[in-house]
Amino acid sequence: MTTVEHVQPGHETAEITAPDAGPVRRRGRRRGLASTIVWYLLLLVLAAVVLYPLVWLFFATLKPSSEFGRNSGLLPWAPTLDNYARVWDGIAGIPLWRYALNSLIVASLAVVGTLGSSALAGYAFARVAFKGSGIFFAAMIGTLLLPFHVIIIPQYIIFNQLDLLDTYVPLLIGKFLGTEAFFVFLMVQFIRNIPRELDEAARIDGAGHLRIFWSIIVPLLRPALVTGGIFSFIWTWNDFLGPLIYLTSPENYTLPIALRLYNDATSTSDYGATVAASLLSLIPVLLFFLIFQRMLIRGVATQGLKG
Amino acid sequence: MKRFKIAMAAVASAALLLAGCGGEPEGPSSDFDPNAPVTLDLAFWGNDTRAGFYKNAIAKFNEKYPNITVNSTFLPFPEFWEKRQIEAAGRDLPDVMQFDYAYLRQYSQNKLLLDLKPYLGKYIKTDGFAESTLGIGVVNGVTTALPIGTNAWAMFTNTALISKSGAGAYTGGTSWDEYATWMGSVTKAGGGSVWGGTDPTGRIQNFEISLRANGKNLFDDAGAPQFTKADLADFWGKGAQVRGTGATIPTKRLLEVAPKSGFGAGLTTSELTWDNFGAGYAGDLGAAASGLALTAPPVTKAGAKDLYLKPSMLHAIAANSEHPEASALLVDFLVNSQEAGAVFGTNRGLPASSTHLAGVKLDPLSQKILDYETSIKERLGQAPPVPVVGYGSIEEKFRQLGEELGLGTVTVEQAVDQFFSEMDTILKK
Repeated sequence: MTTVEHVQPGHETAEITAPDAGPVRRRGRRRGLASTIVWYLLLLVLAAVVLYPLVWLFFATLKPSSEFGRNSGLLPWAPTLDNYARVWDGIAGIPLWRYALNSLIVASLAVVGTLGSSALAGYAFARVAFKGSGIFFAAMIGTLLLPFHVIIIPQYIIFNQLDLLDTYVPLLIGKFLGTEAFFVFLMVQFIRNIPRELDEAARIDGAGHLRIFWSIIVPLLRPALVTGGIFSFIWTWNDFLGPLIYLTSPENYTLPIALRLYNDATSTSDYGATVAASLLSLIPVLLFFLIFQRMLIRGVATQGLKG
Repeated sequence: MKRFKIAMAAVASAALLLAGCGGEPEGPSSDFDPNAPVTLDLAFWGNDTRAGFYKNAIAKFNEKYPNITVNSTFLPFPEFWEKRQIEAAGRDLPDVMQFDYAYLRQYSQNKLLLDLKPYLGKYIKTDGFAESTLGIGVVNGVTTALPIGTNAWAMFTNTALISKSGAGAYTGGTSWDEYATWMGSVTKAGGGSVWGGTDPTGRIQNFEISLRANGKNLFDDAGAPQFTKADLADFWGKGAQVRGTGATIPTKRLLEVAPKSGFGAGLTTSELTWDNFGAGYAGDLGAAASGLALTAPPVTKAGAKDLYLKPSMLHAIAANSEHPEASALLVDFLVNSQEAGAVFGTNRGLPASSTHLAGVKLDPLSQKILDYETSIKERLGQAPPVPVVGYGSIEEKFRQLGEELGLGTVTVEQAVDQFFSEMDTILKK
């Protein structure tokens, strides 16, 4: 859900700037400075509207808890850094960086597992003509239609009997086994558009499937891998239900669960610490997104064009 | 998020169906061996502060029973129950759980909780409890939970804000009309920035006490509603009248400050709620609790026993626990011991057990709660039957409809129809 929110601003700016940038530049001289300024002002206003919630969040981290609900404006009445100090101290004697580290470990392993397994599965579906590949492909796509909630309980019982609760195995094993149909499909579509002649040339040179995969396909697959990596990272980083079900010890909690611990409707809620910790937990995703944003949009765009 | 909740509800009901297929709870298998090492799982909901209290309490417990290792886990309230629902399906509930009244019937009827009877008196002391309090955790004749603390429906007033507005104080225990008039006087004096209170007809508890004033409960022992559409239409109709006078805070304003309440945000000077919400309010207001006063809710019928003591929390033991004796000892320590009382104070409600209460050092706010619960003795009646399965959803629907009535998006008749159709669906499950 959050990913969609993250992608949208990118798309919007891309859509707004891309078609307009050309005409503005071409007709720029005719239109003159005034209209350029108007255009930029308009864009600035749009950017401000999109960014305002984030700016509000930043200023909210400086508000004491009692100001929430009373001061809905941007600027705090009595700015304070206490919220950050409390967040730094962590919850139940566990510092915040521990939760962040847990999240980072899970998200990084998820990226590695998802990309590795889905690229291999994608190669098999796109290039290897094995018996029943059509049925398997349909079944794989079918799992996209299966709501996660249907399988929660059977999965929980299985992992419980394997004694794997309170470890990261239940959260990650599926990703290493290529069960994420979305990513497999992404890879399949991408590989299908890579000319078969390249494989055939390699085959003539004596390369087997693994060699073709590693030396020919993987280098060409890079845009899809980047796209998949970003999605996988952001989704796992923000995942709440999985860690909630499988992790029990507070020291194993991931960041999204730790964030909820600041709010307890039945006693007292620390709103200041909640927003401060939320902002801190946004930073890695934001950085990740800013760095790879160009590649992300390009990756999705090429998928759309070729597929 | 809404879709997610519906899905969770579906999962939960499936979970309990599955769980219902399990076997009978086992009785005490053998006596407790003080030398055998035992590991227990303990789950509770709460925040950082409560987690710290549990940690200290367990350390004290281990001084007595060094052979029992307690692994504790905690989550906020909604997540706590999502996780329990899934564990219930796998029959893998934590040995000892902090429990909520609203879920007690559901889990007890599905035989997920240990029958405590064989352990009472032997492992869990009961002399600290009043007979009526012990009866709180009994479902269909089986004791499955012990109350940790009790609370009662009450009215909080913000005396500091009232005197600032220049209006007179509310004394409590007046008629509902007089309460509405008083709210109007504060709103008038507040000049548009402070309101006298929140429309009380948005909370099912206010409806409940008006029913109890006439000798009825929301639901009878068999789980059938004891009120008619006309009763509810009448109740909500009165709310519409009060809203019409402009005495209460507009719902739109309330939604702006959510998740804080109007009272917690310092916009209203009174609110009807459970008497243990004071610490939360003080935190929300960032003000000293001394500015808060606790008084009795308005009276529907003079001399009626409309209020009752409800368990703020209970402790229950899972039927799937492998160490029921050790679990019972832990429960005994957590609900009865002076040591635990000294650690928790009134964090989990005003202690139900007198031995537990003896250990508590009452802070000013807790003293107010104790005084309040003593002051309403005359109005305290017998507690209603343990809430029906799905009571939480019914309560929430009531609140949502109250909100929509406040916004004017439904009429009273429509709201009553919607409430009854939702309630029928939930009760038929």
